[in-house]
Amino acid sequence: MSRPGFVLEVDDRTPPLVVHEGLGFRLESFPLGTRVVYPPESIPTVPDVEEAIREALLHPHDSEPLPALLRPGMRLTIAFDDLSLPLPTMRAPDIRGRIIEQVLTLAAEAGVDDVHLIAANALHRRMTAAELKHIVGERVFRSFYPQGQLYNFDAEDRDDLAHLGTTDKGEDVEISKRAAESDLLVYVNVNLVAMDGGHKSVGIGLASYRSLRHHHNAKTMVESRSFMDHKHSAMHHSAWRMGRLVKEHVKVFQIETTLNNDVFPRPFDFLQKREWEWSVKDQATMLGVRRGMSVAPLRMRHRMFHDLRSVYGLTGVNAGEVEAVHERTLQKVHQQHLVEVQGQSDVLVMGVPYLGPYNVNSSMNPILATCMGLGYYFNSYRGRPVVRKGGAVILYHPLNEGFNQLHHPSYVDFYEEVLAESTDPAVVGEKYEQQFAQDPWYIHLYRTSHAYHGVHPFYMWYWAAHAMDHVDEVIWVGADRRVAARLGFRAASTLADALEMASGTVGSSPSITYLHNPPHLLADVR
Amino acid sequence: MAERLSGRHVLLTGVTGFVGEALLHLLLSDVPGVRVTALVRPKGSTNAAGRTAALLGKPIFAPVVEAAGGVEALMAARVGVLEGDLADVPALPEGLDAVVHCAGDVSFDPPVDEGFRTNVLGTRDLVRRIQELDDPDRRIHYVHISTAYVAGRRRGSIPEGTVDHDVDLEAELAWGLAQRRQIEHQSRSAFVLERERRRAERAHSRAGMLTAASATEAARKEWVKRELVRVGTERARSLGWTDCYTFTKALGERVVEAHAATARVSIVRPSIIESALVTPHPGWIEGFKMAEPLILAYGRGELPEFPAAADTIVDIVPVDHVVAAVVAVLASPPEVGAPAYFHVSSGDRNPLTFRQLYDNVRAYFDEHPFAAGDRGAARLPDWRFPGAQSVERLLSTSERAHKVADYVVGRTPRSDRARELARKLDQQGRRLEFLRRYLDLYHEYAQAELRFSDAHTLALFESLSPEDRERFAFDTAVVDWAHYLREVHCPAVTAPVRRMDEARRARKRNADLGLRPLSGAGVSTGSTTTGSAVAAFFDMDGTLLSSNVIETYLWLRLREQSGSERVTELGRVAARLPGLVRAERRERSAFLRAVYREYAGARLADLEAVADAHLTDHVLARLSPDAVRRIREHRAAGHHTVLITGAIRPLTRPLAPLFDHVEAAELAVDDRGVCTGYLAASPLVGESRAAWMRQYAADQGLDLGSSYGYADSHSDLPLLEAVGRPVAVRPDVPLFRHARRHRWTIVDWASSTSTTRTLNPAGDLS
Repeated sequence: MSRPGFVLEVDDRTPPLVVHEGLGFRLESFPLGTRVVYPPESIPTVPDVEEAIREALLHPHDSEPLPALLRPGMRLTIAFDDLSLPLPTMRAPDIRGRIIEQVLTLAAEAGVDDVHLIAANALHRRMTAAELKHIVGERVFRSFYPQGQLYNFDAEDRDDLAHLGTTDKGEDVEISKRAAESDLLVYVNVNLVAMDGGHKSVGIGLASYRSLRHHHNAKTMVESRSFMDHKHSAMHHSAWRMGRLVKEHVKVFQIETTLNNDVFPRPFDFLQKREWEWSVKDQATMLGVRRGMSVAPLRMRHRMFHDLRSVYGLTGVNAGEVEAVHERTLQKVHQQHLVEVQGQSDVLVMGVPYLGPYNVNSSMNPILATCMGLGYYFNSYRGRPVVRKGGAVILYHPLNEGFNQLHHPSYVDFYEEVLAESTDPAVVGEKYEQQFAQDPWYIHLYRTSHAYHGVHPFYMWYWAAHAMDHVDEVIWVGADRRVAARLGFRAASTLADALEMASGTVGSSPSITYLHNPPHLLADVR
Repeated sequence: MAERLSGRHVLLTGVTGFVGEALLHLLLSDVPGVRVTALVRPKGSTNAAGRTAALLGKPIFAPVVEAAGGVEALMAARVGVLEGDLADVPALPEGLDAVVHCAGDVSFDPPVDEGFRTNVLGTRDLVRRIQELDDPDRRIHYVHISTAYVAGRRRGSIPEGTVDHDVDLEAELAWGLAQRRQIEHQSRSAFVLERERRRAERAHSRAGMLTAASATEAARKEWVKRELVRVGTERARSLGWTDCYTFTKALGERVVEAHAATARVSIVRPSIIESALVTPHPGWIEGFKMAEPLILAYGRGELPEFPAAADTIVDIVPVDHVVAAVVAVLASPPEVGAPAYFHVSSGDRNPLTFRQLYDNVRAYFDEHPFAAGDRGAARLPDWRFPGAQSVERLLSTSERAHKVADYVVGRTPRSDRARELARKLDQQGRRLEFLRRYLDLYHEYAQAELRFSDAHTLALFESLSPEDRERFAFDTAVVDWAHYLREVHCPAVTAPVRRMDEARRARKRNADLGLRPLSGAGVSTGSTTTGSAVAAFFDMDGTLLSSNVIETYLWLRLREQSGSERVTELGRVAARLPGLVRAERRERSAFLRAVYREYAGARLADLEAVADAHLTDHVLARLSPDAVRRIREHRAAGHHTVLITGAIRPLTRPLAPLFDHVEAAELAVDDRGVCTGYLAASPLVGESRAAWMRQYAADQGLDLGSSYGYADSHSDLPLLEAVGRPVAVRPDVPLFRHARRHRWTIVDWASSTSTTRTLNPAGDLS
């Protein structure tokens, strides 16, 4: 059976450990005494996926079974998570497609013929036809896409937005009009990490800027401790308030899925094994991969990594009322990700991998890398941050991938113009967010091309706000110095140099913790 | 001597020149009794008196001016001004005692007609005016400043006497003056024009025929200039002179000698005049003379060798010796009919060899190197004096290598490396040109194994009283060359260059590289105010995005085809590629037409659908972020933004929101909506862009002079020239050169080199 996660203390028998850094990884020898947090191994999966889905649809939590909610002549909308989940992309068939097929079968049996499928991409980029097809599957795609009943949500289409009112805290709730005016809204999610799902699905995935700005800002993010723990996350509190308001207007049937930790397919599976347990074959593969990558041009490495498709196993599928479902979902997520860590340390080390939610089939630009390290990974804690207040964070990433002009046009300008002026999330938000959010050119690109919304880079920067507020020093190992400086950070060539640089903040023999992810983990800091 | 000259009235020509100025200074400060009238040519809006006053305002005249109580007082008392030109000498004032003629063309390679006009005709007119005044009781003493090198290509010792030759003065003069007319005529012949036009069209036809035409005309004028120099030099050499300068100077002496039969005439022949030894102050020099460019080039490490023998004599005299000798000559007029000749030279009694010159100059630069560059002191070449022939070989080999490299660079695809190479090559080319010009020019002088006897001059010097010898020193034997070169001449010559380098360095430090932000534009907001007078014109392919018409063609057409069709199509286009590249070099519009021909048979509606569905990504992914930011900056500043492209309309659609107007090519269709393969109108390339822009600007009320243009290739030259603020974006080599020459802004808008633009999660897109 699977072993739980654990905390390794580096001693003289510990081999060099894998640290991800963009389109590659390195083997790093950590100082003696460094704590290394390993995620649990993959937990058991459901024996039969189709059966599990059917079971969930027919026996939902706090809700009538799905067939009972379906009737002829109704308006049914199925919304689903976009390509930012899971990471890496799941090998076909995607779990969302399998669920949607079953939902559609039930709907057809019930005689429902007004069905729309909407990708809940909020301000993310529009997915291409191929990307949509990958998520919903060939059959669904063929039946709905040409008719225009399968499409990306457009948060700037004023005619297709409905303002449902404001929460008791005065937050606007504005979501897709089609979804809001449906008789039933089925949401199909992939709950990869603890922050996903719940009221965040509809309340954020189908919302417009007008609604999102209430919780996607620097202040809220600093107060989300952490956003991987919805009970202590100001962002989630806001989303929950909005979700409850949505519930008053439209019946939401939430279907949440949880996955195991099989992130790396063969032959890269050695990356999710513990280094001292590598077989001869694993070591040979590792050597071969490293040698290959050292000579391969960036473009080829990019292709190699981005062509990876994960062979996730389904650990659970729950359907029904949002909050009841989400509670069960979180149980599974925690079972897969949670690792108990005793106390904070002075230094937190993290390797930023090649992929984050916003660079699927794209490039990990410096802003996304920051968001990935200081946003997602830093916030992978429950209770207290892994690093103490005023400590140091050391990240690994070369910051050399540049920007994808098609997907991230506003990022380039954010980097060149906004960050050049200030890197303080509160300051840049105050001064520039409106301007970027309302820029007609960015809106044009978001609506017609495949660009993230103009305001999106600000959100990435807010994601990192809590970390920037919490620690005193951020050092990137192996990064382009000029880029790091533009981001407001420093760069070091080795871990030893980085620790040397951090010694002013944390002393010359700091306690160090290395979060050994991916695969995903959630540090439960006591 | 001052007493002998006291009360005399002397007319000076050429006071605005180096020798004339020194002479005026010496007369004013050390010969108090003499009165001077200067023959000065008005220049521009400044009249002769104004120029003279400006001259007297120079620092060296400060003591005399102060003693006289101001420039006006000095001019009223001692310096008269006669406004006039040697081309048309005015009547001379009454009561003249002497005339010193220092004016003349001092360049070694004047166009032949100018050489004759100033050195022969000017002298003859002046002499005629003197003859008008001359009367037997009061003979005017005419002092003619010539050059020692009138001896031409003779060898050995040259006496102070008439140069022996029997050239027909009148015939040569008539020939020389007629040359300009004749060569101008000749330059318009089909023979010359055709060659120049072909060359210009090869280089500029992509930009358009008018651009090529103006380049042809410029080349013709250049040819006339070169030819005038060439025929002069050839004629001079055929008669035994080094160049047109010495030839016309020698003929000028003949004019003077004819006058000498009935008048008092002295001829002073200085050799190479350089900076002052003592007066007005050590190292005083005006402008660059003969040796300075070479000294400076050597100091910069750019003169690798010199085509002289180590033991050849360089005959240099300080300018104060020359003018002191002239004053002494003035004070001792010769008899009528017996012209006196004086060599003011150093080679006979105090010879300076090239080897010594080199050693001293090198020693100077070793001690005081040019260090203004950002790479420390220049490396000084070691001269081994290998002889003229091997220097010539070295130079012509370098020239050939440069030519080959230039050809290659001109045809390399654009890249930062090609531009950097072109920049270096151009620098090298300028150096080679400099070397070629000066080595050709000085070759003769470096070979001249002449010893100018200065016995007369020495005798004149020795006849002076000891005080005069002190005050009017012109015994060149006293010059200590090591001291003169290292302490006096080189510091004086390099000082202005050092100042200039310093200024340039300061400028460079403060220089704002790249684009200046537009006024009134912060972070772009995209808001537009219409009706503004300023516009920004953008070229598309290569400037805004890294794509070209062939690539987009393939993107469009391959979409509709199956696998095997694609391979065939790719192969067919690949086979056509060399021809297309040739067409592109020749003429942009022919190239576009050839490519658009390929669209024949496609349904326009299909093309547009494909363009909308897929090419949007293709275009946007290749878009340069800097370009977009700049366009948006223009819009935020309220400028009118215009896209001009030879690409077809559907391709511009993704960019349309950025522009107030998009001018693109339209494919012609037949009544079934099928493309004919022709364009609805001529493609807008080269000069037709400029014409269109002028028309458009007139219609919209735009001010082209304060408008911006952005383009990347030589064929866009008319577009850039039509606006007041042109910007070259990642230019190709010819445009890069043009932009550097005209100090246009050059920017490097890198297009996204994203590795991901073709990747897709689900594999193949289609």
